[in-house]
Amino acid sequence: MILSSFSAPTVVATANGLPYSIPIHPNLVHLTLGLFILAIAFDIVAALYPLEKPIFKFLAIPVLSSNLYDVGWFNMVAAAIVTFFTVAAGFYEIILAEPPMDTVSPWGLGAMDTMVWHGVGGVVLLGLIVGMTIWRGFQRYLWREDRARQVQWSYLLAGLGIFVLMFFHGTLGAHLAADFGVHITADRLLRSGLDPNAQLLNVLIKTLRP
Amino acid sequence: MLENLLPPLNSHNLPYPDTIHPIVVHFVIAMVLFAIVCDALGFFTKNPRLLEVGWWNIFASTTWIFVAVIFGQIEAGLASPYPAVVSDLNLHTLIGWSLSGILAVITGWRYIIRLRSKDSLPVAYIGLNGFLLALVLFQTYLGDKLVWVYGLHTEAVVEAARGGLL
Repeated sequence: MILSSFSAPTVVATANGLPYSIPIHPNLVHLTLGLFILAIAFDIVAALYPLEKPIFKFLAIPVLSSNLYDVGWFNMVAAAIVTFFTVAAGFYEIILAEPPMDTVSPWGLGAMDTMVWHGVGGVVLLGLIVGMTIWRGFQRYLWREDRARQVQWSYLLAGLGIFVLMFFHGTLGAHLAADFGVHITADRLLRSGLDPNAQLLNVLIKTLRP
Repeated sequence: MLENLLPPLNSHNLPYPDTIHPIVVHFVIAMVLFAIVCDALGFFTKNPRLLEVGWWNIFASTTWIFVAVIFGQIEAGLASPYPAVVSDLNLHTLIGWSLSGILAVITGWRYIIRLRSKDSLPVAYIGLNGFLLALVLFQTYLGDKLVWVYGLHTEAVVEAARGGLL
């Protein structure tokens, strides 16, 4: 009796295959992607500032393009720092993944292929983000310190290219979640023949009445 | 009737390949958090450049949150939540819509502060940032639960719901 009243929450707590209930990697991904994409976006806005001048004037927002470049720089530095943790958490959680091996993703890849590509892509992207940060630093403090346009067009173009890579890479990660159900409690309960409603509501009731 | 107007729904119960709301929220979450960090650093080190970085991040996040709410509402409507999910999804929706208003008001106040005294922030604004931080982290946690615990829009859950198993 006592055993059965404790068993249900235990099933759920470990049901996602992690020692905690919410995966960490997807949350750090918000920061990596958000900061990198906005860094490039702000550098583009800064580089095209002469064209946008009337718009900002119309909106009555005072702008100094050097401040927009500051956003491009600081957001990029933050993205580079965070991404080390994003990749580290990703590898930890990929090691603990137990995806179903009998299905394929919408791109026709099996779970193992998807995980390998997502893992390799993660390391490549980390390298690219760190490389872009160093490149940006050289432009900011050495090569273009006294120029009105702080970034090279080739840097912005490289940034846009990395967006495309991130899209493919992110879709692989989305496949791991939405198609293979990696570390998703409800999916894993369903695959082991358990009803997530019963299991998850059980936890709710048990936490309310310990 | 609505079914006839939409493209056919796929195995994620969506008319397009993957969920869009979790992608758009990358920008909102990252920028709000980074704005708060830059504001705090700029406030304590009295560095006006960091305050500017904070302003531009909060400004951009306000424009993106409306996109996030629109896609969030569409995808919540298609989520077919099962009984265990309902209360968390309702709370996530309520806080999401509220956050769009809260962020807009904070950005509006920040705009005025920036016009009047560009190089400093009032203590009350830093305090409000603390409240915003807590709200955004809680909202992210709820969204995480919807995906990673309840598996909304994942193939297994959609399949079970269509089969009447949930």
